[in-house]
Amino acid sequence: MSLTLEYKKSKRTGCFPMFAVGGAAAAAFPVLNMAFRSDMYVSLQDSMLQTSVPQNSMLQNSSVRILLEANWQMMAMVNILLAVLGACLLYHAEYADNAMQKMRTLPVKAGRMFTGKFAWIIIMYFITLTVEAAGIMFCIYRWFQFGGEAAAELLQSFGYSLLLALPAISASLLIASLCRNVWISLGIGVVCVFTATMLPTSHFALSLFPFAMPFQILPGTTKTTVYHFMLAAVLETTALSATELIILKIRRLFE
Amino acid sequence: MNIIQTTHLTKSYSGFTAVSGIDLHIPQGSVYGFLGPNGAGKSTTMKMFLGLTRPTSGSFTIDGKRYPENRIEILKEIGSFIESPAFYGNLTGQENLDIIRRILGLPRSAVSEALDLVGLTQYRHRLARKYSLGMKQRLGLAGALIGKPPILILDEPTNGLDPVGIHEIRTLIRSLPRRFRCTVLVSSHLLPEIELMADNIGILNHGRLLFEGPLEELERSAAAKGYPTDNLEDTFLALIDEDNRRRGGAR
Repeated sequence: MSLTLEYKKSKRTGCFPMFAVGGAAAAAFPVLNMAFRSDMYVSLQDSMLQTSVPQNSMLQNSSVRILLEANWQMMAMVNILLAVLGACLLYHAEYADNAMQKMRTLPVKAGRMFTGKFAWIIIMYFITLTVEAAGIMFCIYRWFQFGGEAAAELLQSFGYSLLLALPAISASLLIASLCRNVWISLGIGVVCVFTATMLPTSHFALSLFPFAMPFQILPGTTKTTVYHFMLAAVLETTALSATELIILKIRRLFE
Repeated sequence: MNIIQTTHLTKSYSGFTAVSGIDLHIPQGSVYGFLGPNGAGKSTTMKMFLGLTRPTSGSFTIDGKRYPENRIEILKEIGSFIESPAFYGNLTGQENLDIIRRILGLPRSAVSEALDLVGLTQYRHRLARKYSLGMKQRLGLAGALIGKPPILILDEPTNGLDPVGIHEIRTLIRSLPRRFRCTVLVSSHLLPEIELMADNIGILNHGRLLFEGPLEELERSAAAKGYPTDNLEDTFLALIDEDNRRRGGAR
């Protein structure tokens, strides 16, 4: 119900086309990278096969790892920017013509709008990731050896990316819901994204920043680290969503 | 029976009191006109009824339900239009009402009925942001009327309408209790409008309730106090003036 409502509210906001076009642009990045520098990356696969991979690291298929290590930083940045922009657009539709006030006079629980928007952005983010996975898959098929193993690893890898994006999505929505002026929420979101790009992905504690987590990749990461990141993503998402609900209640007290 | 009743309802902000201990009694099935100059506390009182702002002290019941315990139940019974039209500019008039319809769990036909009531049917496919001010006002009214709620709270519903529109909406509001068996609380600073619409009136000034009752009673009470009673406007101005004088010249 909330999801259908949010879908209907987001009509003509440009949100869906933005995620689709953004996903396509991010998917084109590895394809273009391979088109111009395929020799370098293909030769990497040979050297990777000769070096022993730690047994406790996730995903052994070298082509997925090479492509993600080479392109994921840029793709992840596009993805988080899309999440920030999506959250801003969805809440801008609520604030621009005061629809938010009308919604507050209707018999709905205060947090339902947030959960509905959260679910809607996850769906759009999923579509973006699917387009990007198709791009990576094309690269593997075109320049490496494509098989069932690579497809399965790609699926796991993008599933992991979706989970690790949840804190960034909920944080973006939290910021957007607090600011009536879309430029303020957009500004804060962009600053957060660029701050995240400056944090080293190898540092676990710094990578726990909600906007930095989506930069992590599954291939080559130890199982323990993966579990820690997954747990942190769930905890951060829960904490950020709970914060939104608490803020909504507190805000009502002071109005 | 009073469908809305307040007890010493007060709303204070830092430094000033918007609504000061008012006791309202709004009878079921009537049109109750809420009168007062700008800043008298009309909108604040209505916002409290809708849970948009929290009372500082005092309480109110709506159809026997108390706020804040029964907030959702109260909102299920109220159709409202507060201050200015609130809508999604990126959606058409029909889509806007469809959002409200879904939330209220109403049948699809409720949207066309509401559009028809306010005379927006032929513009239903136009984006709300492209509506004129009068059309936005009508859309806001349609959002309040959809599903024929038992209580309607309308804050200055004829703002921005042309004379024909004002007449149409006024006639519509006047007919609502009879047609849909609902109670209407309507605020305005346009006195003739309230005179033509309301069965009972409440006059607010600086957050205080100066008078409550039927128009005839206002006339009687004003005559007894020596105020002019030729028309509501003169009586209203005399009441406000006297209250301002008593408060030390504050306007």
